[in-house]
Amino acid sequence: MAPSGLRKANDPPLLILVSLADGPKHGHALAKDIEDFAGVKLGPGALYGAITRLVERGLIEPLGSDDRRRPYQITPPGSAALAGALADMRRVTRAGLARLGLDPA
Amino acid sequence: MKPARLLRWYPRTWRERYGEELLALIQDTLDDGRPTWRLRLSVACGGLRERAYHAGHAGKAAVKRAGSRWPTILVAGLIFTNLPQQLKMSLPPARAGQATVALDVLAAVAAFTCVAVLAGGLAAWLAVFRFLRASGWLKIRRQVVWAAAATGPTAGALVALSLTLRSLSSAPLNVSLAGFLAFTATALALVITIGLWAAAVAATARHLKLTPRVRAVELVLGPVISTAVSVMVSASTIWFSATQASVPWLLVGIGQLVLLSTYAPWRIGRAARKGRRLRAAASGRTTINPSAQRTNGRHRA
Repeated sequence: MAPSGLRKANDPPLLILVSLADGPKHGHALAKDIEDFAGVKLGPGALYGAITRLVERGLIEPLGSDDRRRPYQITPPGSAALAGALADMRRVTRAGLARLGLDPA
Repeated sequence: MKPARLLRWYPRTWRERYGEELLALIQDTLDDGRPTWRLRLSVACGGLRERAYHAGHAGKAAVKRAGSRWPTILVAGLIFTNLPQQLKMSLPPARAGQATVALDVLAAVAAFTCVAVLAGGLAAWLAVFRFLRASGWLKIRRQVVWAAAATGPTAGALVALSLTLRSLSSAPLNVSLAGFLAFTATALALVITIGLWAAAVAATARHLKLTPRVRAVELVLGPVISTAVSVMVSASTIWFSATQASVPWLLVGIGQLVLLSTYAPWRIGRAARKGRRLRAAASGRTTINPSAQRTNGRHRA
């Protein structure tokens, strides 16, 4: 497993980091955004399980809020972990596309 | 089913931190409808995963704690497993004095430990009484019932073993395989029962609202009792070395005492300083709830 714990494209932690990359969101907004850009419908249990682990690893952090819908934002280590995971995926994707003869580059 | 009831799948500490958020998300997802089986399954699986995760962490911490005490456990285990053989052996005359002193120290420290444990209980009895009056029994009944259930057979086995040893005191003890197994099983049952009662006491202590003064007393009594138990193990080792006429075991026992004499005062002193700080910090408050403190600390982290 990668040090950041991000393994594959449909991993809930990776999807959450991608969703938070453009700004803080609370649980419901995260679930809707992930469904929109990835087509993955995360249940409440899976979503908050991933949020818990990401908070523990310091990759995301909660923002202060009086509302029950507490927003989360990505941290600098979270951004670095996401960039690393996406770079790995890009390398694999390029190799796969090239071997299939589908890579336009 | 009310959405809030779905949160029962999660551990209490997790619910305290994330429960309201998850509930808000569930209610947003439902839009006033009933929870679907898919949503219930997602929450149940998430809750069970969290419980497994928390249990794994608790297990690792317990292994780490046990790991730091392995020399004590090893020495105690060796003495326990060799005791039946030693009981039939007459002491070498040159070592009789050493064995007598070790046993006297063992008995004195055991008595002191009992007094210290009772003092710890007496200091907290008022908080325990209040806790039980406020339906606290429901929170600890599982641990207490398990410990009580283990106490009966263990006490029976101890009495039977004691009577057997007494009847054999004037004759050589026949160390048969059955006798050895009975002795080992009794020792194991005793260790399990003590562990279960310790878990019940720890579960109770987590819920008690102790005054700063009592909390400071308990903080000091913890390392004092732990040190006393270590002294008992050292005395047992020295007694064991006398029965064996073994210099290496004698050195092990003395080495344990030397280590204790340097480590224990530092540990007890640190607990005393912590107790003083606690009382000073709580000068404006009347009670301290340790579990709440721990939870709040985790939230801040």
